[in-house]
Amino acid sequence: MTQDELRRLIRIEERVHELADEYGLMTTKIDFEVCPARRILEAMSYHFPTNFSHWTFGRDFEKNRTFYEHTGTGIPYEQVWNFERPRALLVDTNPLPLNAMIIAHVYGHVDFFLASSFLKRGRSFSNVAEEARYAAERFRKYEAQYGQTAVEQTMDAALSIQWHQPLDVFLEEPDEEDARQALIAREKMKLASLEKNIRLNNKERAQETECVIRRLKRLEDITPPEPVYDILKYINRQSTRLKPFQQDIVSVLRNQARALAPNMLTKMLNEGWATYWHLRIIRKLTEEGLITSSEHGVWTTFHAKVTQRNKLHLNVYHLGPAIFEYAEHCWDTGRFGREYEDCTDPIERAHWDTGANKGKEKIFSMRESYSDRMAIEEFATDEFIRGNELYIYREGEDQRTGDRIAVIMEKNPGIIRRYLLMYFSYYGIPSIAVVDGNYQDKRIMLLKHDDHGMQLDETYIEGTLRHIHYLWGYPVYLDSIIDDKTHRYSFDGKRYSVD
Amino acid sequence: MPIIISERTAKRGEKDAKRHRDKQRELIKKQLPRIISEESIITRKHGKTVKVPIKLLDIPKFKHGSAKKGGAGIGQGEGSPGDIIGRQRGKGKGPGGKKAGNEPGVDYIETEIDMEEILEMMFEDLGLPRLDEKTVKMLVVELGLRLHGTTRSGPEALLNAGKTAQEGMQRFWHLLRELERQTGKSERVCYVALKQAKGIFGDARTLVNSGTIDEAEAEKIAVKAFVIMHPDDMRYHKQEEKITEQSQAVVFAMRDVSYSMNDEKKYLSRSLLYWLVNFLQHIYKEVVILFLAHHTTARFVTEEEFFYTGESGGTLCYSPYELAGGRIDAEFSPSQWNIYTWHFTDGDDFDPARTVREVKKICEKGISMAGYGEVRTEGDNTVSELMNAFSKELGLVKQIEDNLHTFESRDAGYPFLGIIIRQRKDILPALKAFLKQERWTS
Repeated sequence: MTQDELRRLIRIEERVHELADEYGLMTTKIDFEVCPARRILEAMSYHFPTNFSHWTFGRDFEKNRTFYEHTGTGIPYEQVWNFERPRALLVDTNPLPLNAMIIAHVYGHVDFFLASSFLKRGRSFSNVAEEARYAAERFRKYEAQYGQTAVEQTMDAALSIQWHQPLDVFLEEPDEEDARQALIAREKMKLASLEKNIRLNNKERAQETECVIRRLKRLEDITPPEPVYDILKYINRQSTRLKPFQQDIVSVLRNQARALAPNMLTKMLNEGWATYWHLRIIRKLTEEGLITSSEHGVWTTFHAKVTQRNKLHLNVYHLGPAIFEYAEHCWDTGRFGREYEDCTDPIERAHWDTGANKGKEKIFSMRESYSDRMAIEEFATDEFIRGNELYIYREGEDQRTGDRIAVIMEKNPGIIRRYLLMYFSYYGIPSIAVVDGNYQDKRIMLLKHDDHGMQLDETYIEGTLRHIHYLWGYPVYLDSIIDDKTHRYSFDGKRYSVD
Repeated sequence: MPIIISERTAKRGEKDAKRHRDKQRELIKKQLPRIISEESIITRKHGKTVKVPIKLLDIPKFKHGSAKKGGAGIGQGEGSPGDIIGRQRGKGKGPGGKKAGNEPGVDYIETEIDMEEILEMMFEDLGLPRLDEKTVKMLVVELGLRLHGTTRSGPEALLNAGKTAQEGMQRFWHLLRELERQTGKSERVCYVALKQAKGIFGDARTLVNSGTIDEAEAEKIAVKAFVIMHPDDMRYHKQEEKITEQSQAVVFAMRDVSYSMNDEKKYLSRSLLYWLVNFLQHIYKEVVILFLAHHTTARFVTEEEFFYTGESGGTLCYSPYELAGGRIDAEFSPSQWNIYTWHFTDGDDFDPARTVREVKKICEKGISMAGYGEVRTEGDNTVSELMNAFSKELGLVKQIEDNLHTFESRDAGYPFLGIIIRQRKDILPALKAFLKQERWTS
């Protein structure tokens, strides 16, 4: 980057800040760091400015870099961290209009960081970045002391179930003893109310009482007293096998996933919001002459590439802004509420416009309180799904040629909507809980998969159970329903079996 | 100013990427028995790389989906149900005809490996074949370069930072003492001057002599040696070619191309010889390999012919030994050469007794090894009459190495090794057995 370009970029950054304020976006001071491409490639692969070493990060880094160096399309795009003072990267070799766009894009993200209730929650973990830096240091020492294999195996295992967290990102699961006492208190209240219940005859009362007493007794012993979704935390507290350095690794990896979960829940909206705004800001900068018309041309090409629809994936840079624009349009024209929903006349619906003009208000409130799933629930209407030409495809084999092919299977909006909801629920992580940590009194960990109509891919069960076993040190069982039948998958340290 | 220029450069990405590649390599190593038996490698004409499907490593996680019903996904674009929107050539099946993704936590990707790399990996397990130290003709084996000692010039990449700093540190003390001597001032004053002059002696002397140094202040400052660099102090690692000398070898590669050798048998013997030859060519810059094809008669052929032709007819297994024996007498004195014969046949021999005689004869010439590979794909556990004859006449002991049946002569003193190869997965163990370094040295 030349000095002249740097000066222009500084001017552009000031103007973008002003424009963001004018448009009603929340702003704060942002550190932009001009760096070589490899730095951003590294940041993309390591999740934090400095993070511990792991081969999966290296693999992603190499993949990203190869993509960047050999295809010319994978230009490192943007990297911004949701810190107290947000930090973003700009690539020194990127053309100026691209960097200008990234600055505008980052202002969109920063507003989202400041306004979204999910991202505020994420910021409350902002010490994880600091933690990551120190962890990198500690893990290096562990490697020297305990060997690369032990450290790596522990990381592999923890990464394998890293995303199995409390279902609610805003809540921590109570500590085991607190949960137990709350449950005991509840049972005791039942016991008290049984005594006062005049509608029961003596026999019934005796029976019920006995039941409650049995439950009370069981509550004293059982661990966990109620299903626990935060598997890593449970293992870390209860495992008798983990050495202190392993506990440290497990806890760092668990905390990182915990801090990143809010981002995962709002990824589409976050990127959508930033893209929505960079489009408008760049147009404005071009009008004002801060970006020349030939630079605007360069920018358009790039913008088109980033927001391109993908035949085999959902591109959040396309779907995200599309959903905000659709929501804005609906609320500008009054296409919401009972009257509109009850209207069945297609022509009337097509021309519906009450002049409500509430679009901006709506999208600002969406970015404040919606997760991706909530936005899909409200705005993935038949009209939206058809308009955006969404479909479900299936992978299979071409019987004739042996090629691996993808075939469009479904265009029905109702089915696609269900699929989208699943896709955006808890970023696709199956919900699995520890239901017993001392099953059959043998310290066996019993896991249960909640069946929400989606079954587990059996391919990955054994590998994952092996990893959990590595941390837990005793046999691990998993109950899950596959093809309408409950199966028990187990790994006892030597053998994997399915019942 | 909110835009700052980054100063940080980290190298972690490369290091961790290397770790991933190492893990991939371990995996490839595990798959070597399958990889080296791939037909595409043997039939390939002198390319440098080989395409092999290997796994892209990932950590297994609980995932939704159904392997049975095939993956599904959501996409965007024009089209109606039934339209094909993506196609990957011939990727439907994973290696070995297994459906890709049957194993936990892995994806298959097709990747290219250098032949050299495959050989290197095989070496890690194998060691070098036994070659006796024969005195007369030595041949030179290059093992690459090594760093040994230091020198005063060289490329920057070989800069020996430690040594260079040491020299620079010595220079500091020399200059300090010289400054003291020339100016007569104390060590600390001279030190401050030297430091202000950034190590340039002339400037430091001027500073001291002009009296610009606050001497009282200078006396409070402790001397902290620093490195003063001068081109003369640069030290570089010296590069040397690492060379060891090995005695020379001649190999007679012999292949039965008769009618009874069906395609699979031909394939197995071709594959084994292919790797044996590759090994030798890889390790020794100069190794003489002579190719003999035989049915009832034997003849010397070119390498190309040897690997790619098929013939027919009956079998007389003594014929190649006879021919090789003549060649040894004429050209390769056993006192100067390590001589190997590697013979592959199904053992379907019209005259086993004579073959045994010829093998005995050739062994008695003092060769290093008579390797005999019998390819039997019939699916039973029997061996040929020829093998039985060898066993009896040469006093062979039957053993099981790596699930392979081997026949080896211990007491009778013949350097004979017979191996029964029944299927493709025997290829790697058979190679190991043939190339085992210390077979007869103990």
